[in-house]
Amino acid sequence: MRREFADRDDLIAYLRAEFPNAAATDDNVAETRGGRAAAEARLRQIEPQRYGKSRNFLTGAVTKLSPYLRYGVLSLAEVRDLVVGATREIESIAKLVQELAWRDYWQRLYAQMGDGIWKDQEPYKTGFQARQYANDLPDDIRDGTTGMVCIDSFSNDMRTHGWLHNHARMWLAAYLVHWRRVRWQAGAHWFLQHLLDGDPASNNLSWQWVASTFSHKPYFFNRENLEKYTDGVYCRQCPLYGHCDLEGSYEAIEADLFPNAQQRNTTERVPRRARRAN
Amino acid sequence: MANTIVWVHGDCLDPHGPALAAHPGAPAIWVWDDALLAEWRLSLKRIVFIYESLLELPVVIRRGDVATQLRRFADEQGATTIATAQSPSPRFAALSRELRHTHTVEVLPVAPFLAYQGTIDLKRFSRYWATAERYVFDKTAQS
Repeated sequence: MRREFADRDDLIAYLRAEFPNAAATDDNVAETRGGRAAAEARLRQIEPQRYGKSRNFLTGAVTKLSPYLRYGVLSLAEVRDLVVGATREIESIAKLVQELAWRDYWQRLYAQMGDGIWKDQEPYKTGFQARQYANDLPDDIRDGTTGMVCIDSFSNDMRTHGWLHNHARMWLAAYLVHWRRVRWQAGAHWFLQHLLDGDPASNNLSWQWVASTFSHKPYFFNRENLEKYTDGVYCRQCPLYGHCDLEGSYEAIEADLFPNAQQRNTTERVPRRARRAN
Repeated sequence: MANTIVWVHGDCLDPHGPALAAHPGAPAIWVWDDALLAEWRLSLKRIVFIYESLLELPVVIRRGDVATQLRRFADEQGATTIATAQSPSPRFAALSRELRHTHTVEVLPVAPFLAYQGTIDLKRFSRYWATAERYVFDKTAQS
């Protein structure tokens, strides 16, 4: 295949012609560039201390290294070395290093599980059996036409940019699995089609963590949580504000989503972690 | 004629990766896995990102059945060894097994994130981290 191109547009036109099925799946091209040069440029911009304090916010100082880590353009080891070597205050960079460790953890599991990452690792802890979840991704979520500004924005952003903040991934995943009761595999496959950092292990096992097939309890959230970490950018423009499906206390939402669950769990109001250094 | 070719795959697109580093100047190849693309229905943006990464690597870019293309390229180069970087992917493992019927496959490890060789409990991340955090901040153990 060709290696010489006049510019990026020339490359994109060539790939559209060579991979028409990929273009038919989705024709968008992300602004994020591939390659080691782009990866190193991104690496020079990371702010480990700010990351630790702000990573859960959509405006936080996330690294956006994940596409480069996924394809091994950068290694986890070299990012770790850079971050650890640049400070004597380990506490200040601990959160970023821990998020890098999540990828190492998923990769180790992948080596053990192989294609088993597509299977429920454990039963759902939601009070529902796996067979009670729909198999297919609903059209309105895939197309970003649910009417919920947050969910539609996450869907559109992923298809357009090939990237989502990890918190948005968790919200979108939880909405699909718990509110719409769709098997996590449908969402996992959808994410892998679009995310530049789509890695089977990190992706699928994170979906299983949300679904509760690889965790002690389902991850869910409420409008208040989403509004806090997004600075309200979606809720402020949403016609459903105040009466959307995400509205209510954690206890009320839990009772509504999981009426058959044997034991009610106290759900975290802040996610324990973002599962990749995104 | 080269005795070794380098197989570049999607878990190591680093120009300083172990296979390219161990065999500088060796003929190198990337193969678009048509079966995988059909199965996963990847969108164009993912293809573009990978292709841009490939353009910074000294690789020939082909597509089709991966094992067939690798064997063909090795034969073209007169190579008996296929060197590549380690990957946890089951597809990588299956391809490596298949290639070993006809060629020597040299799988080179990438730099480890943890300088720890012992057993780690992977049941939950918390158990993994209980071990990992004892090693991951050790500057003397860095790669």
